[in-house]
Parts: sequence; structure tokens; C-alpha cells
Amino acid sequence: MAPKLPTGWVHSPPTFLLPDAFLPLITKRGVKYGWTTAPARGKPARFNQKTAGLPTLSQSPAAALARKDYTLPLRTGALAIKKGMTALYDPETGIRTPCTVLQLDRVQVVAHKTREKHGYFAVQIGSGWKHSSNVTRPLLGHFTGAGVSPKRYLAEFRVKDESGLPQVGQSIGPEWFLEGQFVDARANSRGMGFAGGMKRWGFKGQPASHGNSKTHRAMGSSGASQGSGSRVHPGKKMPGRMGGEQVTVQNAKVLKVDKEKGLVILNGSIAGPKGCVVKIQDAIMKPWPVVPGAVEGVKEKLEATA
Amino acid sequence: MASLTPTLRPLACWKSILRHTRQQKAATRSLTTFRKPKPFTGPIADQVPTPHVNRKLKVLPPPPSVAALYKEPIKDLTEDQIRVLDPTGARTRLFSKTNTEAAKVGDVLLVRLKNGDPFAGVCINIRRRGIDTGILLRNELTRVGVEMWFKIYSPNVEGVEVVQRRAKRARRARLTYMRKPKHDMGSVQSIVAAYQRTRVGARTSNANDEGKKGGKRKVKGKK
Repeated sequence: MAPKLPTGWVHSPPTFLLPDAFLPLITKRGVKYGWTTAPARGKPARFNQKTAGLPTLSQSPAAALARKDYTLPLRTGALAIKKGMTALYDPETGIRTPCTVLQLDRVQVVAHKTREKHGYFAVQIGSGWKHSSNVTRPLLGHFTGAGVSPKRYLAEFRVKDESGLPQVGQSIGPEWFLEGQFVDARANSRGMGFAGGMKRWGFKGQPASHGNSKTHRAMGSSGASQGSGSRVHPGKKMPGRMGGEQVTVQNAKVLKVDKEKGLVILNGSIAGPKGCVVKIQDAIMKPWPVVPGAVEGVKEKLEATA
Repeated sequence: MASLTPTLRPLACWKSILRHTRQQKAATRSLTTFRKPKPFTGPIADQVPTPHVNRKLKVLPPPPSVAALYKEPIKDLTEDQIRVLDPTGARTRLFSKTNTEAAKVGDVLLVRLKNGDPFAGVCINIRRRGIDTGILLRNELTRVGVEMWFKIYSPNVEGVEVVQRRAKRARRARLTYMRKPKHDMGSVQSIVAAYQRTRVGARTSNANDEGKKGGKRKVKGKK
């Protein structure tokens, strides 16, 4: 066998052969897979320019915001507690209107979410009150920093831009909503527990007689055999947990607003049991309401789009 | 045979060589830029870290709550509405549980409506739900059993009168058994007509007259 030649010089060529400019710096620390905190790497000027004839990306955060632009409400909503249902009679016409009574309890703005920091504009709203001994220290600091007392419920309401962000600590009462305007009300529906196919999906069940034995409410078949690949297809409606998921009621009319008692009375029914938390915000399917007490920037926009 | 590194490789594969060198260079640099601790300059007391104290966060008091003052808004709403819809309190009294003179299930009631004919029938159910309190009346019109729900506080209901009381207190809350042919009272028109005859002069509206006529006809038909 031929003697091996020394090869050390190959693996580390002398420095005069490899000047510094030849060796690009590589960031080693603080770099995770998939993304980098470093500024964007330089790209060849000829390619991949915004105007290089390529369509703008429709998957970017900016594009997502642009898509949402039309449907995002201009001002924040509020958190309310569902107190129950009743009816309102019109003494003149005698028309009875079933309604849901919601109560606002110490609703305040707790924080903002901004495009620069979080990627979108939203208002964090807190409602109710919680004893400080039941609040974790980080959360307590969050409330203290915002200058509000600890809140029982927290929720976020997305808004279109920074003009829809009220001051932190500002309280939002029922007068935030106007009588006659339309709102979207979101709440978690009543939990039904583990429900069968008939209750959960409206399956017809099976006949009571004609030789049927002990299977009257069963779901029956869960699919074809060889025709569908001898398997149950994904998404097959089956028995399982029913209810307890968020349900949005769109375009609920505000029938009455009572500032003294903190009430907002909505037309018709809203999902959820009595005492549940309801998120109400201007309806996205209707023109934005013209609110006299709105912040200036929002007011102009509301008027323009109403 | 220890290493089998091909000896003639350096003539090609410059890329891998450069990569290797780059790695080595990075390693060298990380060594040279190793953080050197700052030498102590001030007095030692300043450098000793203060022990961690669990500072108490300032907790703001809650603002006054209107929800705590008005805990039962639905009750308040109902009362407000009843004050408007039933200013005399007659309807509330007529169907209150505490009133011994109140209308009970089994009584024959006459409901006068603002628009439309009055409806009479035997009350087989009283559903007490605040402002939505309703009564279910059963009668027979053209030999067909008819049941009607009336909301007692509805502005369309002008008034409710007790035509005939049941002889004996019903021992059920809902007299649904009266739908069965065995217990069905049939038409109450004759009872209502007799009741209205006794009260002639008290109230003579066209609607009532019509009701009376209808009742008479019914009685004849039965005979």
C-alpha cells in the first residue's frame, strides 16, 4: 500500500489564501431553527424584489390584516354577564319581544395589543373583581401596571387600528352601546355532556319495532365498507361531548340600555346558561353605529362608514 | 489502516474546505471574545447583591359596582313592566298564589281582547313566569276542541273575568286530563251566556253580544 501523504494542509489552508472577506460571519448563538432574530440577510438585488413582477404574498401578516380590514370593528366591545331572559311589551302596539338581559360589571380596559408589538390591534378588557389573594403574582403585576383592580374575567376584542384603542383604565359602561344598534354576542353554550348521535347531530335513530331489538337510539352505520376504503372517514359525526363551545349570535339588536343598573338588553336569545360571560361587540354584518360619545378618531370613521 | 483520507482531495472540493475553515475561525473568535468579568471598582458593600425581598404589589381597590346593587335585574324589569301594564294590580291579584279569591285551574274564564272576539274557556293551566305569566283556556267551537294561551299582562288582553268557579278545588296543577273525552267539559258557551245575562247593563259591547248569540246557538244545537 502506498504511504499516505500528509493532508493537514488541506483541511486548514494558510490564512493568506483565505482572507477575512472571503469568510462570511455566521451567527452561532441565539439562532434557532427556522427563523432568526438577526436582521434579514442581504439578498441579490436583482431577484425577489417587491416590484420584480412577483405577486405580493397573501400569507404574510400584513396581508392577513388587510384581509381583516373590512370586518374588524372600529371600537372595542365589552364583557357582560348573562342574567337571564324575559320579555318586553310595547304598551301601545302590544307586541311582545323576547329578550336577554346582560349586566356589565366594572368593565375596564386593561391592556392594548398593537401591531408593532403583537402583530395586531386589540383591546384587553377586564370585568368583575377578584380578591388579590386569588390572583397570581404575575397577573397581579399586570393589573397593577395597568392601574386597575384585579379582574375576574379577561378577554380580548380586536379592533381595526390604533384609533380604536381606548385609554388603559377607561371604564366601559352600558352606554357604550346604543339602543337600536346591532351587536354580535359570543358566549360558551350550555354543556350537554356526552350526548348520543340523535341529540348531538339530529340522527333519526332506529325504529321502535319491526324486529328491532335494543337499538333504538344508536347511530347506525358509520360508513360504507369497501366503497369508502373500509374505514371511518375523518369528521364522521358520532356521539361525544356536546355544547360548552363558543357560539356567536350575530346581529342581536340592543333593545334597551340602562346605565344606572348596568344593563344591556338584547333581542332574542344568547347562548349559554345564566351567569355566563358574554362578549358583545358591534355587529360586523351591519354598518358601524354612530356613537356620540366615541373617541374623536373613531367617531369620524363610524360616521363615514355608517 | 487508521485513516483513509484521500490524499488527492485538496485539488477539488474547495467548498468543504472553506466550510471547515469557517467553523474553525468561528471557534477561535468565540474564544477570543470570551466575556471578561468587570473588575471590582467601588467598595465591596456596593457589590454585595441585596437579598431578594418579596415586595408586596400595590393592589388597587375595585371601583364601585352597580351590578352588586342590582343583583336581580330581571325581577326589577318585571316589576317595572307590571307597573305599566297592570297599574291597578288587578291581573296580578287575579292569578296570585296567595290570594284566596284568585282564579284557579278548573274555573271558567272569559278573556276580553283589544282586537278580536272575547274567548271563554275552562282554565286548565296557569303558567306563572313573571311578566310572561299565561293561562291556557279550553273550549269547544263548532264541536272542535280549542285551546288558547293568553299572556295575562299582554296589552292585547283587555281583561280577564271569572265566569264560573269550580265547585271543588282541583287537586292537580294542570288539568290536562280534561282533554280526554271522559272528562271534557265541552262547550262553555251556555255558562258564559248565562253569566253575561246576569250582568246585563254592566258591559254591553258588540263583541259580548256576539259571544252571547253564539252561546245561545250552541245551547239550541245541543238540545
